[in-house]
Amino acid sequence: MWRLREMQEAFAEGMTAGNHQAVADALASDGSPLRSVALYRRLIRTNYTQVLRVTYPLLAKLVGERFFAVCARGYYARYPSTSGDLFAYGRAFPQWLLELDGPRLLVQLARVEWACHEVHQADDARGPVVERSEAEAWADPSSVRFRMNPAARLLACAVPIYRVWHALQVEIAGGGCDEGAESLPVPEETGLLVVRAAGTIQVTGLSPKQFLLLHAMRDGKTVAQVERMAAELIPADQGASLLAMLLDEPTRSAFSLEVTP
Amino acid sequence: MSCSPFAPIPAQAGIGLRSQHFREVLEAPPPVAWMETHPENYFGAGGAPLRILERIRSLYPLSFHGVGLSLGSTDRLDRDHLRKLKSLIDRFDPAFVSEHLSWSSVGGRFLNELLPLPYTEESLDHICARIDDVQTVLQRPLLIENVTRYLTWGGSTIPEGAFMAEAVRRTGCGILLDLNNVYVNAVNFHLDPFEFLDEIPSEAVGEIHLAGFDRFGRWVIDTHGEAVSQEVWGLYRWAIHRFGSRPTLIEWDTNMPPLSVLVDQAKQADAILGGCCVATP
Repeated sequence: MWRLREMQEAFAEGMTAGNHQAVADALASDGSPLRSVALYRRLIRTNYTQVLRVTYPLLAKLVGERFFAVCARGYYARYPSTSGDLFAYGRAFPQWLLELDGPRLLVQLARVEWACHEVHQADDARGPVVERSEAEAWADPSSVRFRMNPAARLLACAVPIYRVWHALQVEIAGGGCDEGAESLPVPEETGLLVVRAAGTIQVTGLSPKQFLLLHAMRDGKTVAQVERMAAELIPADQGASLLAMLLDEPTRSAFSLEVTP
Repeated sequence: MSCSPFAPIPAQAGIGLRSQHFREVLEAPPPVAWMETHPENYFGAGGAPLRILERIRSLYPLSFHGVGLSLGSTDRLDRDHLRKLKSLIDRFDPAFVSEHLSWSSVGGRFLNELLPLPYTEESLDHICARIDDVQTVLQRPLLIENVTRYLTWGGSTIPEGAFMAEAVRRTGCGILLDLNNVYVNAVNFHLDPFEFLDEIPSEAVGEIHLAGFDRFGRWVIDTHGEAVSQEVWGLYRWAIHRFGSRPTLIEWDTNMPPLSVLVDQAKQADAILGGCCVATP
């Protein structure tokens, strides 16, 4: 007589390690135990592949259904789900593509899609004293720090993924892309800012200098420190445009200002 | 008009709320009495999903239909999952909270499938203890749903209907009666669906689910990707006669059709319920 725990363990073993006979031994002889096991194995794999397809729609589109399904199946074996909340399933998919020695473009695209996925449901909270801090920031820049908001991510990019991402957006209707950004020049792209602003997820390509500055902001540097960095990085006649970038969307939605105690 | 003994949702038809229909539902709220959603889709800390759910909650009574608690697992209950569920319940005050009489995880590994339990005394003791625990945390009765199965565990000694009835008696929970699941199991294992239904105590049935299935080889699969079949409509008529009018949900999860198709299916259910006055929000 099998105990409940033993049955569940045998079933899970059959689903993951392919030990069908162990499960079949725990089943009644009516029907076809081995067919039952095979069916469940297929259903479970299909369910998890579908979860990944929803999380990584652009990647699935780019590589095609069959290749994506193969990657998803390998991921299911390598990174099993550990939660009934499927939101987190797929977190390590970019890492899995890296382990597969996949093209860097695919790995990077997966990272962007995961960032979008996280940002979509991230906390709405911004810094507690934004309005007051903004005024103080310009009065005493050394007393106010930048803080990245929960619904924002800064990604370093080894390949120019921004254009690829936007090109694929056109393929998928309603993808929430920043439509106007497709025409923006993105020289020497080294990073991306992913931010949810006014309910829409925006992905913005960053030049090396922009990326350095936003990286410093994400690391909690003070306004004064970022200003000094900007002065070193950017010729005086372009300083105004940097300030405009920091105060304008989408950067404005990505950061709060926090008064240093 | 008769109501469920469990909650203030009228005994009329509702539809499952899915993201593909968010915009349409908000722009032109369809004439259905209520909506049901999977709470796990709103476990995130913020963003559009929660804002949309708030707007929809202001338009319709709401029901939470959980899919991720793994109620029958022999692992410890996932307290973090329960905490998130409780938080959502406190925020949205759904009329029903339901989960499946199934398990999905063991040894910390999840399988994302609603797997049947063996119907034994050990399982009954286990599931009743878990239902008690969940109801204590949520501070409200749970509706438990009968699931489809594509296997039969060896050593099952209790008929499924009697198993559920005893769980109801011991814990005070209610039943979410999924008639498509009853039909699918009956076809796959050559069972008499009425034997199962005869075991179900009428007063425990808080809600009914209707959905569609697909055929895959020798199996009938509960895909929720088709319209309700004529056979299941037939079971529904019988069930309404047997149990009385109950809030009834049209479930559709894959191969998603236009919203109007779901609304039409809900109207069919309302016609059977005798609902000539479908609520318009």
